[in-house]
Amino acid sequence: MRFEGKTAVVTGGSRGIGRACVARLAREGARVALIYQSNQQAAESLVAELESAPGKVRALQADVRDLQRAHQLIDPLFEEWGHIDVLVNSAGIVRDGLLGAMTAEQWREVIETNLGGAFNYCHAVTQPMMMMRRGSIVNLSSTSAEFASRGQVNYAASKGGIDGLTRALAKELAPRNIRVNAVAPGMIETDMSQVVRGIAGDQIKKAIPLKRFGKPEEIAAVVAFLASDEAAYLTGQVLRVDGGLSLGGY
Amino acid sequence: MPTKDEVFQKIQTALVDALGVDEEDVKPEATLVGDLGAESIDFLDIVFRLEKAFDIKIPRGELFPEDILTDSKYVQDGKVTEQGLSELRQRMPFANLDDFSKNPVVQDFGNLLTVADMCRFVEGKVEVTD
Repeated sequence: MRFEGKTAVVTGGSRGIGRACVARLAREGARVALIYQSNQQAAESLVAELESAPGKVRALQADVRDLQRAHQLIDPLFEEWGHIDVLVNSAGIVRDGLLGAMTAEQWREVIETNLGGAFNYCHAVTQPMMMMRRGSIVNLSSTSAEFASRGQVNYAASKGGIDGLTRALAKELAPRNIRVNAVAPGMIETDMSQVVRGIAGDQIKKAIPLKRFGKPEEIAAVVAFLASDEAAYLTGQVLRVDGGLSLGGY
Repeated sequence: MPTKDEVFQKIQTALVDALGVDEEDVKPEATLVGDLGAESIDFLDIVFRLEKAFDIKIPRGELFPEDILTDSKYVQDGKVTEQGLSELRQRMPFANLDDFSKNPVVQDFGNLLTVADMCRFVEGKVEVTD
């Protein structure tokens, strides 16, 4: 098992891609702390579901926008576990709308959760990972960062920020053998995308060379690869996992 | 309550672990940048290790004042201004800035801080016995 003896923290771990990442890492032997904001039921159901997995899972509540709270969770984990090997920043929200009609709150919530949350948890794990001289951080970006959609200025900006954060942090932490990468999913079957898929699903599928939406487990598989020692020479990269959507052309 | 020798030994260990240098290189008069080859990521690593070794909190910028040295309010044309020097003196009472002040080129600041300065810094934060 690739993650036997390893530990992982996954934000946004109760649902969607984060949930699939928690399951993948636990089934491959990692002790996992999943961070959820409000859906306690979903978090606890995942912990119960993974009761017999090789790796143990616990659910911890936090608003990822809170830096102090991030340290309050991570510092004791480091004390208890002795090492934090993997961080997956999957917490993310959408608050769609055209920019001219977007409120300051819609803009701020998305930036502070999607980008600020990643900053906060990267900040919190930097000390543990630097002291151990190893670690892997995987951030969830999106093809929306590069291939624009109307009504998602805030989301696209937050994910563009994730790409920049990923590259700059990879450069900073490489001397300490800490790798930082991102996965940019295309259209994935999660609660977050169900409204868009409902409205324009068929149109979107036509634009995807593989002619289907992706599954959270397929993203988790790439996250797990990047988090693992198999990706030991990979850092500062943003991998698009989108069924070919970003290929464009015709 | 540690002795001054114990403080030095813990700092020596932290620098050996953070910088990958040999113990014999870590002398009181050794400069962190010039002699021991420290870079910016190393300063952060050193702060983390000192916090753990001495069970203290070191607010960012208290030991290594990067915020002053990168602030256009305190640095002009590659030199620290009088205001900047005043800030540095306030922030770093454990370090001797007299020579640096004569020609305060920012890039030379790295050669200022010695292992002995770090010992004085830690001694200011924990109670020590002789």
